[in-house]
Amino acid sequence: VEATLTVEPLSESNWTGEDATIAQIERELARLRIASSGEDAQPNLRTSVMTHIAWVPAQWQVAAEETLAGMGERHPSRTLLLVPRPEKDDGLDALVSIRCFPVGERAVCGEVIELELRGRVAEAPASIVLPLLISDLPVFCRWRGEPPFGSSELEQMVDVVDRLIVDSQEWDDLRYDELAQVFDRVAVSDIAWRRTESWRFALAREWPGIAHREIEVRGTRAEATLLHGWLSARLGRPLDDIALAEADSVGVQLDGEDMPRPRPLYATPSDLLSAELDQFDRDRMYEEAVRSAAR
Amino acid sequence: VTVTEQQNPLLEGLRVRRRPDPCLLVIFGASGDLTTKKLMPALYALAVRRLLPEKFGIVGAARSEETDDEFRERMKKAVQDHARDPFNDDVWEELAAGMHYVTLDFADDKGEDDLAQTLTELDQERGTNGNRVYYFAVPPSAIATLVQEIAERRSAEGSVRLVIEKPFGHDLHSARELNSLLQQSFEENEVFRIDHYLGKETVQNMLALRFANGIFEPIWNRQFIDHVQITVAESIGIEGRAGYYEQAGAIRDIFQNHLLQLVAITAMEPPIDFTADSVRNEKLKVLKSIHTPGPKHIVRGQYGPGFVEGHEVNGYREEQGVEHSTMTETFVAAKLYVDNWRWADTPFYMRMGKRLARRETTIAIQFKRAPHPPFEDGGSELRPNVLLIHVQPNEGVSLAIGAKAPGVGMTIRNVHMDFLYGGAFREGLPDAYERLILDAMLGDPTLFTRSDEIEEQWALVDAIVALWQRDRPSFPNYPAGTWGPAASDELIHRDGRSWRRH
Repeated sequence: VEATLTVEPLSESNWTGEDATIAQIERELARLRIASSGEDAQPNLRTSVMTHIAWVPAQWQVAAEETLAGMGERHPSRTLLLVPRPEKDDGLDALVSIRCFPVGERAVCGEVIELELRGRVAEAPASIVLPLLISDLPVFCRWRGEPPFGSSELEQMVDVVDRLIVDSQEWDDLRYDELAQVFDRVAVSDIAWRRTESWRFALAREWPGIAHREIEVRGTRAEATLLHGWLSARLGRPLDDIALAEADSVGVQLDGEDMPRPRPLYATPSDLLSAELDQFDRDRMYEEAVRSAAR
Repeated sequence: VTVTEQQNPLLEGLRVRRRPDPCLLVIFGASGDLTTKKLMPALYALAVRRLLPEKFGIVGAARSEETDDEFRERMKKAVQDHARDPFNDDVWEELAAGMHYVTLDFADDKGEDDLAQTLTELDQERGTNGNRVYYFAVPPSAIATLVQEIAERRSAEGSVRLVIEKPFGHDLHSARELNSLLQQSFEENEVFRIDHYLGKETVQNMLALRFANGIFEPIWNRQFIDHVQITVAESIGIEGRAGYYEQAGAIRDIFQNHLLQLVAITAMEPPIDFTADSVRNEKLKVLKSIHTPGPKHIVRGQYGPGFVEGHEVNGYREEQGVEHSTMTETFVAAKLYVDNWRWADTPFYMRMGKRLARRETTIAIQFKRAPHPPFEDGGSELRPNVLLIHVQPNEGVSLAIGAKAPGVGMTIRNVHMDFLYGGAFREGLPDAYERLILDAMLGDPTLFTRSDEIEEQWALVDAIVALWQRDRPSFPNYPAGTWGPAASDELIHRDGRSWRRH
């Protein structure tokens, strides 16, 4: 479970459609939005700061839905949950819901559109997503699991979104060399990188002495590899000049002594994803760390 | 080793938050309500977000006898009762470790010596390098003595910042005296006169709205704006502060500071940058451009008994500590003009008071009507566009526009396009004191009032108060729980306008 709701929704209303069309989805969204405020009440606000897409292969679906439940309250948005089911017959199934949260005397509503992309529809996600984007607002895509680099669906989404968010800790293979190839087409965030932020602050405080000290970085494979690549790139030292080891959590030794563990900057996984959704520009340091790690 | 971001390759790309230099924060008036309800919760919120200096200490000073432990315990309760974040033991322990208390009679040299001794010891213990932020949460009468004592004991080492709560003086003469006293020993950039409205996100958002959007500034003038209405309404009474309020009244409590600052921010020209002096220079020009309203353009009121939110409440004269025949005003409405090229002949209507119908602070920019609505139906009912800035509560901005009602005819109805802070940014708005305490520690005076602004504000208030010496209205003249005296409505009706409907 990645997130917990901080505020219970005031109301939630749904519509389910098999073999749905985009027009039906838009019509039902409008109907649900009007119905959510009740008769004679002031209409609820639809406030959106982004379109938030989640590409969720079936094995990630439960975790993703729970995460998104927490995010709706934090980042009012239109959320598109895309579940690819290429093994099924062609078609599009939809579950459309409006979730309203209290804000003072009013309520603010977010929209969640869960779409099962069946059969060949899973190969054309952009054609589903494009008509459902909210105009003029940024588009974020959280790609659960390991992205299928080079695949049609990933390529399409890279062209549609402003920011691609991955968690390389979810990957079986750390395919950073392939990830680096999309950097010039889309801004990329990595939740594994965000987890290392408190350590990067702590290491920055060791400057300038750290430039010449013996360093060992350990941690889960993704976090340690990124931190290792970042230190190498930023300090201008060869990768093999900095030791790298696997461990359950991140730790750093300087000249054989453990650095004190910094207090985490983000209390929950939702906080981590929330931080990524607040970032709009390219993360050059992350890109540098990835390129360095991929060498 | 202190290194800058530019020198340190590991800092590049990290979102470095502004963090002040090490310092000791001395709170004079540590036993008061402001410390309990505002300052301590704000300091805790800053601690939660790691915005306080790494080397930091808080020294409470007040007349009452208290040990360090008792002070910490009282402050802990203040945080538990009033902080916006859940209580966290680790954060609290870290903050409380640097917390001390000194019993201090403000006129007593020995007490000041004890305080100085404590601060010197804490410098050694906490590594705060002699840097001091003194927060004056005390009555105005105590400020002069404290300022002199601090000046006498000022060491050459470290920085000194004085944060001074309102009211800053009680008229132009006393404000000038206090400014003069401060200027004898301190630079202007060491003095931080708080007007907590300037720390509010929504007040700062007025600057963002005006200067970060290309669509508003071209119409932000007399050609397109019919008038401006500013409302600072409180539903509460004087909450046991009769001693202060009897001296101040609404004109000194709200008009002199919050309200004139809201006018200044609404009417100011775009600053060339967002540095303290650029912003304050532009605000000062507005304050200098406001001419004294004539007697017909200012209304005062005092509340009588009535009902507020369903509860029967006393009139002002029945409040504890208030004289039965007092002439202190609890309500002021005024029509002001900002006499410059941008605003000539555009009235700024304002009203503020206690025990009004509801708590609300808003700035309403009412635009001129469409010159010729060509519709047969509904055209006469068309209301002008209003850009409404909700300062509190329900912080946000809304724009009233005319829209076609669905149907075969061309019926126009007014609708609101709303932006609610709480709806778009679910971070939780920081309390104004968080921002202001942090800015004082950082030495950034942009959101504080400069000496010349304060003096301009008092000059206007003194002129209004002088007008009031000539007549004696019949008080009370509005029931609690209403929108003020009938004369307030007449003030705006005379111009063929009316107060916004709520």
